[in-house]
Amino acid sequence: MASFFKSRLFFISIAIVIVAATLPLYMSGYVLGLLTVAFYFGVFAMSWDLLFGFAGEVNFGPTFLIGVGAYTAGILNAQTGWSVYPCIVLGALAAVIAGLVLALPALRVRGPYFGLTTLVAVLILQNFIVVFADLTGGEIGLTIPDVITINAGANYWIALGFMTISALILYGLAQSPIGLVLQASGQDPVQAGALGFNIVKHKLAAFIVSAFFSGLSGALLVFYMGTASVGTVVDIAVGVNVIVAAVLGGRRTVLGAALGAIFLIVAGEFLRPTGELATFIVSAVALLVVLFFPGGFLGAALSHEGRS
Amino acid sequence: MTTTFRSLLGATALGLVLASSQALAADPIKIGVIAEAQAIAGASIPQAAQLAADEINAKGGVDGRKIEIITYDNHSSSADSVRAFQRAVNEDKVNIVIASYISEVVLALEPWAARLKTPFITPGAASNEISKAVHADYEKNKYTFHGYLTSAALAQSVCDAAKDLLVDQKHMKTAVIMSEDAAWTKPLDIGYEDCLPKIGLKVLDHIRFSPDTTDFTPIFNKIEGSKPDVIITGISHVGVQPTVQWKNQQVPIPMFGISSQATNSTFSKDTNDASEGVIYQGVSGTGVAVTPKSIPFTEAFKAKFGNFPSYCGYTAYDEVYYIADAVKRAGSTDADKLVAALEKTDWVGTIGRTQFYGKDDPFTHSIKYGKGLITGLMLQWQDSQQVAVWPSDVAKAKLKFPSFIKVTTN
Amino acid sequence: MLALQILIDGFAISALYALGATGFTLIFGVSGVLNLSHGAIMVLAAVAAWAAASVLHLGSYSGALLGVAVAVVASFATYFAVVQPIQKSRRIATEEKEIFILTSTLLWGIMIQELIAYFFTNNAKTVLPIVEGVVNIFGERTTKNEIFTAVVCCVSIGLLWLLVNRTRTGKAVLAASMNPRGVTLLGLELGSIYLVVWGIYGILAGIAGVLLGMFLGVSSYSVGPLTASAFSIVVLGGLGSVSGSLIAAFVVGYLETITAYLISPAYRTIPALLLLVAVMYVRPQGLLGRR
Repeated sequence: MASFFKSRLFFISIAIVIVAATLPLYMSGYVLGLLTVAFYFGVFAMSWDLLFGFAGEVNFGPTFLIGVGAYTAGILNAQTGWSVYPCIVLGALAAVIAGLVLALPALRVRGPYFGLTTLVAVLILQNFIVVFADLTGGEIGLTIPDVITINAGANYWIALGFMTISALILYGLAQSPIGLVLQASGQDPVQAGALGFNIVKHKLAAFIVSAFFSGLSGALLVFYMGTASVGTVVDIAVGVNVIVAAVLGGRRTVLGAALGAIFLIVAGEFLRPTGELATFIVSAVALLVVLFFPGGFLGAALSHEGRS
Repeated sequence: MTTTFRSLLGATALGLVLASSQALAADPIKIGVIAEAQAIAGASIPQAAQLAADEINAKGGVDGRKIEIITYDNHSSSADSVRAFQRAVNEDKVNIVIASYISEVVLALEPWAARLKTPFITPGAASNEISKAVHADYEKNKYTFHGYLTSAALAQSVCDAAKDLLVDQKHMKTAVIMSEDAAWTKPLDIGYEDCLPKIGLKVLDHIRFSPDTTDFTPIFNKIEGSKPDVIITGISHVGVQPTVQWKNQQVPIPMFGISSQATNSTFSKDTNDASEGVIYQGVSGTGVAVTPKSIPFTEAFKAKFGNFPSYCGYTAYDEVYYIADAVKRAGSTDADKLVAALEKTDWVGTIGRTQFYGKDDPFTHSIKYGKGLITGLMLQWQDSQQVAVWPSDVAKAKLKFPSFIKVTTN
Repeated sequence: MLALQILIDGFAISALYALGATGFTLIFGVSGVLNLSHGAIMVLAAVAAWAAASVLHLGSYSGALLGVAVAVVASFATYFAVVQPIQKSRRIATEEKEIFILTSTLLWGIMIQELIAYFFTNNAKTVLPIVEGVVNIFGERTTKNEIFTAVVCCVSIGLLWLLVNRTRTGKAVLAASMNPRGVTLLGLELGSIYLVVWGIYGILAGIAGVLLGMFLGVSSYSVGPLTASAFSIVVLGGLGSVSGSLIAAFVVGYLETITAYLISPAYRTIPALLLLVAVMYVRPQGLLGRR
């Protein structure tokens, strides 16, 4: 951790955040709005990277945690009329509970079985949202009465600040002994266990942290958009985007995941003139990166620095 | 795709011209169109809007101002729609937005229209909640207009037609309601439950199913079990699959009601002609002269895009015209003045005569239903054609059913 | 009467699930690949068969054949363009190949799905059935197409069983699925076995897709749920176990049908998903899986 503060990466990150913080002074509201979504998405991808990239589990369920956080916050606001902030906090807490519930069966199994358990969790959540349409707004969306603010600049700063703080905590955690144990358990669980580490405890901790940030980010996103829908925070396609963002940016780098997410969202918008083909092009580019640059954006950069 | 691209280029070019010359007189009226480009029903919205704009521009525009359509694909998602709405208002500086045929999407956009103070009209969503919200908080939500019949009016229209066609002509006595679980069908079902018994159709059962449903066998079996004379439908997100399975399984009961996908002219092809005999509600239809403007519009649409418009093509086309009319009357594109002018709309378009309910009506800013205004019509798929069967003044044929249907009390 | 109805409808659906899952599990058994573009390949086959009739005006048999052919081509494309480069890559560590294959087949599936939506819209398509009409089975009106579906599925699975157990190629495939390293020791080329398996997979997925298109209809929205259901069935049965998949397909198929008939069509998939979680909890290797 201490070495991080002296590393080049740290200074580059600081510089980027400072430049990013000045954007509202000269950028249009539209660009800010786009980046706001991208920043929340970046937190999704970083949380996923902590759980998967380090613990080595094929987690298809990021949207289970995101969705629980987002919908809990949204429904509370719509049903009780409580103000935005308590709803956001309760949403994040609900996501933590969901993370614990998911971890119970998920930690018993590995590999594809773990993947399926997390996938099924998403499908069940999706089904419940549709079945309880009276409460959730069903298939196409829940309309939420309140938003944090409609000021594009303020929204942008909130998202940027939130992402920066999340990145610090998640990155710090990944570099700490907890992160190293997780990484060891991902590569060789038997040996890591034999060395005396309680792997289940560490994985559970990773689950909870990942769930907290996913849920918090989901809740914030919902109060930015003023709507929650299966297509934005629960659908498997969203989970796939989170995974693709993390893999694109470079797994086990945490910060790379945020870069990947910003790239995905911004690229998708640049391709808007291509109409319905935008998703196709983004997927094709992502596939090429996965096939030819498996380390991702930051993976390549970091491995150079690591060696030097 | 190419039209989007071209209009974008056009927008950029115009922007440059404006910045250099400050030619305010030629300031275009910008209409943002957010729609479901990949869905049959939604795809007609930007096309019809563009057609109307081209026609108006060819005649010199509105007081010398051209109409510019800027389109956005929302992928049938409310989140994408919200982003598109923000982009339309903040980046592309549109004056007014036409958006979506999905009620949930429209309900998600309604608060944004209020927050960003931008007038907004839906060409195809039906939920009562849209206009009820305007009535409940007029000052906040007055920017939203409901350019299509409410679910309550739709249910009334189906019942009015069922009275003539099914009860009086075919002496039917019982019905089962079959509708998808969505925001727009909740008030529709309440409307059906209320008006069907009044016209003499006893409701034996009421089935709501998830719009995700792919296998309708259990549903048709359950319906057949209660032996109704007719199935009254409320479907929009689904359409092809229940219709094909209805035909393949030879369910001997006719389907009558709202079936949005059936309004599209490709429906018979998509269903391999399983559509034969389906009776559906529409605001207008191919070859039906609801007003003198209806047929020229469908012909022009077909000539330009190769197929006939879906139901929200008609409404989107009319909307561009009465927006232009309102801008002319208001003499401005200022949001509040535009809202005031739109409220006074009295426009004969392709689906009838459009007027909006006022502030004191529970359905504020929804289009008025009734004789001399907009009544809707019933059409039936006969020999791969959409034929009007009700009301009698536009009807071209009598009801006709495929052989597996048993109209018992005929 | 309801029981008979459930028995008949459940059988057709289950047989269809079984056919879809068999190819999926076979590939996993032989090469350890979970192909998450599965649903996209099935939908592609169905849409190709639909387009053959509506756009090219071919008959229903030629349409169905074209659909299966397109699926085989897509299957080989998946193998050569996506799976093989990862298997051969030296830059990806062995223990990470699994996640890379999962991610890239998912992306590949999305690409196929988007192309289908782009060219044919995302509205549902139904393939012109080969047999039309209905018959009465003990008073239950049943579509001939449903019977046709069940028969074709059973025959295809039967043929596969014969192929695997009675031919030399088949035995090599079977051996490879039990122990890939052992096969290479026996001097058999693993590469050519992979080709055979992907070919068989393409045919099975193609038939399943076309039948589904005739029976219920498909849209580009079906891609995700189809992949998820094949994945669930295969894991429930035990990864790599063909007989486990068959049993699991019938368990899931009937559970869904019973729920749809007796409770509500809206809850159709929920009990099967809950069962899956329960099985994962008490028997993580699936019904017939080896650990």
